[in-house]
Amino acid sequence: MSARRWTARARGLRGAAAGLVALGLLATGCGGDGGSSSGGKVTIRYAWWGAKDRSVMIKKTVKLFEKKHPNITVKTDFAEYADFWSKFNTQAAGGNAPDVFQNSYAFLRKYGEKNLLLDLNKQVKEGNLNLKGFRNGLEKSGDIDGKLYGVPVGANTFGFFYNPAAFKKAGVTVKDGWTWDDFFAAAKKVRKSDGTLYGSSDNAGVMYLYDLYLRQHGKAFFTEDKKLGFTKDDLKQWWNTWQQHSKAGELVPGKKTEQAKPKATISANLSAAEFTWDNFLVRFAAETDTPLELGPLPTTDGKKTAQYLSSLMLSGSARTQHPKEVAQLIDFMTHDPEVGKIMGYNRGIPATTAQYEAYKPSGVDAKIAAYEKSVAGKLEPITPHPAGTDVAEAAFLRTYTDVTVGQSSVDKAVDQFFDEAESALGS
Amino acid sequence: MTRTTTRAAERSAAPPRPETRKGAAPDAPGAAAGRRSGRRETLAGYLFLTPWCIGILLLTLGPMLVSLYLAFTDYTLFDSPRWVGFKNFQEMFEDDRWWTSVEVTLKYVLIGTPLKLLAALGVALLLVKPRKGQGFYRSAFYAPSLIGASVSIGIVWRAIFNDDAIVDKSMSLFGWDVGGWIGDPDWALPTLITLTVWQFGAPMVIFLAGLKQVPRELYEAAEMDGAGAWRRFRSITLPMISPVLFFNLLLELIHSFQVFTSAVVLAGSGTNTGGPGDSLLVYGWYLYEQGFRNLRMGYAAAMAWMLMLGIGLVTAVLFKTQRGWVHYEEDAR
Repeated sequence: MSARRWTARARGLRGAAAGLVALGLLATGCGGDGGSSSGGKVTIRYAWWGAKDRSVMIKKTVKLFEKKHPNITVKTDFAEYADFWSKFNTQAAGGNAPDVFQNSYAFLRKYGEKNLLLDLNKQVKEGNLNLKGFRNGLEKSGDIDGKLYGVPVGANTFGFFYNPAAFKKAGVTVKDGWTWDDFFAAAKKVRKSDGTLYGSSDNAGVMYLYDLYLRQHGKAFFTEDKKLGFTKDDLKQWWNTWQQHSKAGELVPGKKTEQAKPKATISANLSAAEFTWDNFLVRFAAETDTPLELGPLPTTDGKKTAQYLSSLMLSGSARTQHPKEVAQLIDFMTHDPEVGKIMGYNRGIPATTAQYEAYKPSGVDAKIAAYEKSVAGKLEPITPHPAGTDVAEAAFLRTYTDVTVGQSSVDKAVDQFFDEAESALGS
Repeated sequence: MTRTTTRAAERSAAPPRPETRKGAAPDAPGAAAGRRSGRRETLAGYLFLTPWCIGILLLTLGPMLVSLYLAFTDYTLFDSPRWVGFKNFQEMFEDDRWWTSVEVTLKYVLIGTPLKLLAALGVALLLVKPRKGQGFYRSAFYAPSLIGASVSIGIVWRAIFNDDAIVDKSMSLFGWDVGGWIGDPDWALPTLITLTVWQFGAPMVIFLAGLKQVPRELYEAAEMDGAGAWRRFRSITLPMISPVLFFNLLLELIHSFQVFTSAVVLAGSGTNTGGPGDSLLVYGWYLYEQGFRNLRMGYAAAMAWMLMLGIGLVTAVLFKTQRGWVHYEEDAR
């Protein structure tokens, strides 16, 4: 056998091999997309944001659902809040959003306007989704201009958190109808009596808190016509007040707040008070051993806290292939008493009476229940959240943080915030 | 010393073509048969290239063209793109945060890269001499580069630079009391830079390889002439490894312009981006925020192309200057 013949053969083989490689690559490239339903079995995807404890609970509820609906398989996925939305945006842009996902009131308009949310009204009519049995008419909050874009799973309201031991030591009592002046005076006393704790966290950059302050003055963060509901001078006054107390050393300095992340400064044992959503008591209990209490929000006129109920929701994707199964999952997650027992108050107080009554709160959950009961009579309608709310919220916090870490002045930060928020709201 | 200086371009000007490989020697009986088999080889070559071609067309060139188009549009991901001409580019120059991101990134690149290369070269010089446990030391110095890009190490870094943690405590013993590095807008970036410099493993390995290539006899000759250690380093080592140095410099520069993960993790999670007072707002992060958080894909695409122009410019300048300081050993052919 001559060497040349052999190389010729080898050359032929080489061509064939190259062809095979190319073909194989193409085949694997196209083979990724499997069908999601076969033989009557349907697979839907369910995604949410939250910490690990929430995921453990939700996975249990999903198992329960699959047991009762053997023809439906639910694939789950979760991430922390900010990452969740980045991922969601990417998936949705590729026409591949999860079939069912956790949502909140702040996002309904944003994604509704982009035709990403399934209008669940049709499923209600067909009997796959029950809208009866919700507490306080909560189901209405998912209705945006006649379209049902979300179904609430849990309700929460904004609250004042404090460290009762530190407050007692300082001789301060938290009572209904106390004012912002009382609050700042309390922070000062706590700071004086306690060598390590600051009187309060610096929450002036939290959009929801400023919203409540504005509401106490007959305004709101956003107006019905999708604009900011306050002036630059309003905001300067709010931030300057907080800065004045911060400079007096009564509030947690910006540097320490940055460093404590992802914990809040109260659960990092830096401060004795904090403003945030009441269901955070569950999270704080996991982050710190210090017992914390929920108390009434400071007022302006001695009466009005201007609180409202907000809620976490479940929404469906407009692109889903299985709207019926999507509705069945949402229905199960909002109404099933067993689910109510598993979830507790992790996503706020259950939205339906069935789940509310199935779960007997104890420990921190009991505190949340008592708190919501105490404010139930004072609740007002929610502030409208136009598309762009999330961008405005992030800009509000960031520009104020620039002030607290000494990178910006209040005046500069206010200008920067207005620039960014107005462009996000499209005005 | 016989050394001729040539340009890199000449060196890489003639990639071996399939026809001139040994398999299709021109002395084959019958020129036509030779040409035919040559053509078949070419075909096989291209066939072997197809996976790569498909990859670059579908995954790199295609998306790049689309992104170039998007850079001239308003695009929210969900609505169809709307042509706006140069508006995005104009806006960048009026955007304070864009300027901040440029400033932060330039500081990061211009301080971080030289420090990292210095560390890599220094350690490579120590490790090139044969000694006991050499393998262990090399692995130990390389290890941070393996884990350095991971999220967990960013979290560890956050923890050790805290105000009551090891770095701050030990520094304050020397009267240098920052009081928490991560939360301080003046110290957050230096912390990020130390994290990067610490990951000098990859350039170190390349330097090691380069150092081993330097002919021993050059050093022997120099020593005979009475050259000291510094002189030998200046006149032999540095010129001899200058191509490696150039390669490392280029690679690290391009790489650090695109920094993202470490800055994000170091700043900690939360809705508030950019670290304390935007002091960690590197270019890639701002681009990501505009694109995926604010859904301004057109603006983000325009930013990406500005970054590419910037990196291209820096690379071009480096290639221009290499004539002055990079020496290529041309082996006699």
